[in-house]
Amino acid sequence: MADAYLGEFEHIVLLAILRLREDAYAIPIREEIEAKTGRSVARGALYTALDRLEAKRCLRSRMSAPIAERGGRSRRYFTVTPAGLAALRTSRRALQQLWQGLDEVLDV
Amino acid sequence: MKPPALAEWLLARAIGSQACADAVVGDLHEEFVRAVDAGRRAAGLWYWTQAVRLAVRFAAVRLTRGAPPAPIPPSPGDSLMRTLAVEVRHAVRALRKRPVPTAIVVLTLALCLGANAAIFAIVDALVIRPFHYPDVDRVVSVTETDPASDFRRETVSPANFLDWRRQSTAVQQLTAMAWWDVNLVGRDEPERVQGFQVSADFFGTLGVAPALGRGFIASEETMGAHRRAVLGYGLWQRRFAGDPAILGQTVNLNGEPYDVVGVAPSGFDFPMGAQVWVPLAFDAKAAARRTARYLTVIGRLAPGRSLEDAQAEMATIAHRLQQQYADDNRDRGARVYTLTQGMMDEGLGPILSMWQASALFVLLIGCANIANLLLARAAERERELAVRLAIGASRARVVRQLLIESLILGLIAVPGALLAAHGGLKVLVSYMPARIARFVPGWHDIDVDGRLTLVTIAMAVGTALVFGLLPALHSSRPRLAEALKSGGRSIAGSRNRLRRTLAIAEVALALPLLVAAGMSARGVNRFLNGPQGYNPDGVLTMRAVLSEGRHPDAAAWRRFADQAVDRLGTMPGVEAAAAANVIPSIAMGQSRDIEIDGTPLPEPGRRSSVHYRVVTPRLFDVLQLPIATGRAFTAGDREGSQRVAIVSESLARRHWPAADPIGRRMRVVGGEWLTIVGVCGDVVHDWFIDRRAPTMYLPYEQAPAGFMAFVVRTSADPANARADAVKAIAAVDRMQPVFDVMTYRELLRDRTIGLQYVAAIMTTFGLFALVLAIVGVYSVMAYVVTQRTHEIGVRMALGATRADVMRLTVGQAGRLTGVGVAIGAALAVALGRLIEAGLLGIVANDYRMVAGFGAILVASALVAGYLPARRAAAVDPVGALRSE
Repeated sequence: MADAYLGEFEHIVLLAILRLREDAYAIPIREEIEAKTGRSVARGALYTALDRLEAKRCLRSRMSAPIAERGGRSRRYFTVTPAGLAALRTSRRALQQLWQGLDEVLDV
Repeated sequence: MKPPALAEWLLARAIGSQACADAVVGDLHEEFVRAVDAGRRAAGLWYWTQAVRLAVRFAAVRLTRGAPPAPIPPSPGDSLMRTLAVEVRHAVRALRKRPVPTAIVVLTLALCLGANAAIFAIVDALVIRPFHYPDVDRVVSVTETDPASDFRRETVSPANFLDWRRQSTAVQQLTAMAWWDVNLVGRDEPERVQGFQVSADFFGTLGVAPALGRGFIASEETMGAHRRAVLGYGLWQRRFAGDPAILGQTVNLNGEPYDVVGVAPSGFDFPMGAQVWVPLAFDAKAAARRTARYLTVIGRLAPGRSLEDAQAEMATIAHRLQQQYADDNRDRGARVYTLTQGMMDEGLGPILSMWQASALFVLLIGCANIANLLLARAAERERELAVRLAIGASRARVVRQLLIESLILGLIAVPGALLAAHGGLKVLVSYMPARIARFVPGWHDIDVDGRLTLVTIAMAVGTALVFGLLPALHSSRPRLAEALKSGGRSIAGSRNRLRRTLAIAEVALALPLLVAAGMSARGVNRFLNGPQGYNPDGVLTMRAVLSEGRHPDAAAWRRFADQAVDRLGTMPGVEAAAAANVIPSIAMGQSRDIEIDGTPLPEPGRRSSVHYRVVTPRLFDVLQLPIATGRAFTAGDREGSQRVAIVSESLARRHWPAADPIGRRMRVVGGEWLTIVGVCGDVVHDWFIDRRAPTMYLPYEQAPAGFMAFVVRTSADPANARADAVKAIAAVDRMQPVFDVMTYRELLRDRTIGLQYVAAIMTTFGLFALVLAIVGVYSVMAYVVTQRTHEIGVRMALGATRADVMRLTVGQAGRLTGVGVAIGAALAVALGRLIEAGLLGIVANDYRMVAGFGAILVASALVAGYLPARRAAAVDPVGALRSE
């Protein structure tokens, strides 16, 4: 699904997962987004976005072994699929095209 | 460190899928563990907040996943859950579209449900489960029965208790308790503490382990080995600074040393706020007594035995004892109750059921109000519903849709209701003085808890059905043709009838509530401020029970009373001081059978019983209790001088209705003859039962007692004299504690606290009802005026004046309320009779009050009708006609 359209939040979530590499489960993902974007993320919104991305096949998840400090529950680790990477690439390209020649307008 | 289990469970349920739940719940768990560092409480709260937010989100996602965006009737293949989800979403949307009516309904519901929840919390804490001991269902209370009434709970005599304990197999660990409030003397100033003598098994029977040391052992039930004590946790903390070395030390109770063997766990104060327990030991004489009944007995059901088994066995044992001791135990049975039943105050039941009934009244009025609002809403949605019916929705489906809306309204109101209940209960609990609260088991446990939450949700659902069903059935009646026609006024007639009926019902229910509130408020006012027969203003009171060890005989009592009254009387700012065995309104009494000189003494049981008071000479001055004829006591009425008495006017009237009692003689049956030297006014001892009871007064010097209440009349605020008064007694005997040091006004307030609660709660409910009823009338009138805009326009076009229109509208509001008031008045008079007869006794049914509140209702309704009327009168006839 290389032509999957990414919402802004989905875009951010995918990037956060890529940055976290091996350690991408919900808690660090949320922390990473909050640290880098400076805006707070509702837990529920994040879980919904993760589910949606997985349904769009942009993400794959696997469960870890049970962990004691989680009350014997597993973590759900996420990795970005090739389809996810393709979607990111498409979005990035589209944005870059649109940005061209606009730098002085925004004074950045 | 584990997160709240209930929250965790809820969240997992809301998520559904096992793997997904594992990940989410695990994440939250992980974050919770980190949050705990900032504090356990805060972490728990945080967890709850997050769990609820997530749960709601997941539940919403699950319910609506894949649902079509518009409320298209689902095909028959759709699952029930899916259909419901669509309906819920549709209902939420419908409610959000009309925020103001929705808010009004939710607020009304929250207050009504809150009132009911609060009362339920009280009933739950005081009646349903006041005790929190392990397996408390297995703990029973065993009583003797009175020959006169099989169901009266009677205390038990020592000999019967010992026989029961030897013979019973169904009830184990039978334990007796005897009231034993004592003077505690220790490192600080002496103190009166609530103690109980208890059998050795006491702590085991209740399944309570001491926090420190041990309970009692069987050998300590013998005289001589019985000087052991277990201290209450609070007492230990307060007086002994929580020192664990207290074990093995001695404390001085009633002038005798007791070894401290244990400390009770924190919060344990059974029975009746006990602060210290000692073993109950009988000497041979006491152990053989069958007629002195003063023990409260509890026990634990043997494993596998039921309450019925225990009842049957105790009945057999009691029957055997009846035959064995035919004189002492004639007709004396035994009864087994659960601990909760057995320890409950018998007076509590009627009061609580009255509150619950009133709360239900309020809820009903609230329901009527809400039904009214929903009917108005249904009218606005008539076209929408008709369309749905027309394109094939079944009536059941439309009714279901409307009921779901009601249900959602009800559930939204639950948090508000719990909050209102919590706030109200906090006020109620804190208003009760601690010295009284300790006699009410469970008082401090009154609050909102999980059980109350469940009950409130259940009530909300039930209420939603009640207030939602009527409008739902009414609006879904298939009369499509009319509704779809553009005018559609033909349905309005029957709906207006329903709305008017509801408004009338509200008024009719509000009036009796208001009258009940008014009656109880008047009762309290009379209790507190009505004529008491003496003047309670400017008087300080306190009590003392002399320690036997230090004040063993009558001579010592006289000495103590004499010195104490002397010291109190010479304190600065004190006008006079006195002592008496019993003072009016105190929570105890003493009475005696009397014999009148020259009149034959009747049989026992038919003799004249009168209040018995021994007082020091200035009591009449201190209380400003008027002497009608004759004289008050003087210092000359001493031991050895002529024995004298003063009688109350009611006593004089009873025995010498036509003659002057001065100089005549009477006596306590079996005592010495007393010459009457004066007649004094009557006092109110207890507003319920002793308003003008015949009373005899004797000089303290001639009939001293080992316990007394002091009264001190001060020139300034008596509350300021407390410390000095306690010091004055300490100066007489520094080992002698005084207790209940309070002004007479405080004493009266304490005595009537139950009724103050009744009045406060009833008044709150009454005001609720008033506001709800008026809002009800207003909303009906506002609606009717809107509907009749067209008609009013026609009337005005044909020449009706603004005044005519006002008269028309206000007149309709007046008629509505008038009918409601008429029905309500009949109810109020009937209810008033019940209150008069049963509960208060002293408040007469008052027709003026019924009339007064009725007038208030009518007046408020006229105002409520006036506002829409003004709007009606301002109608521009041309505009109104054109609006069609």
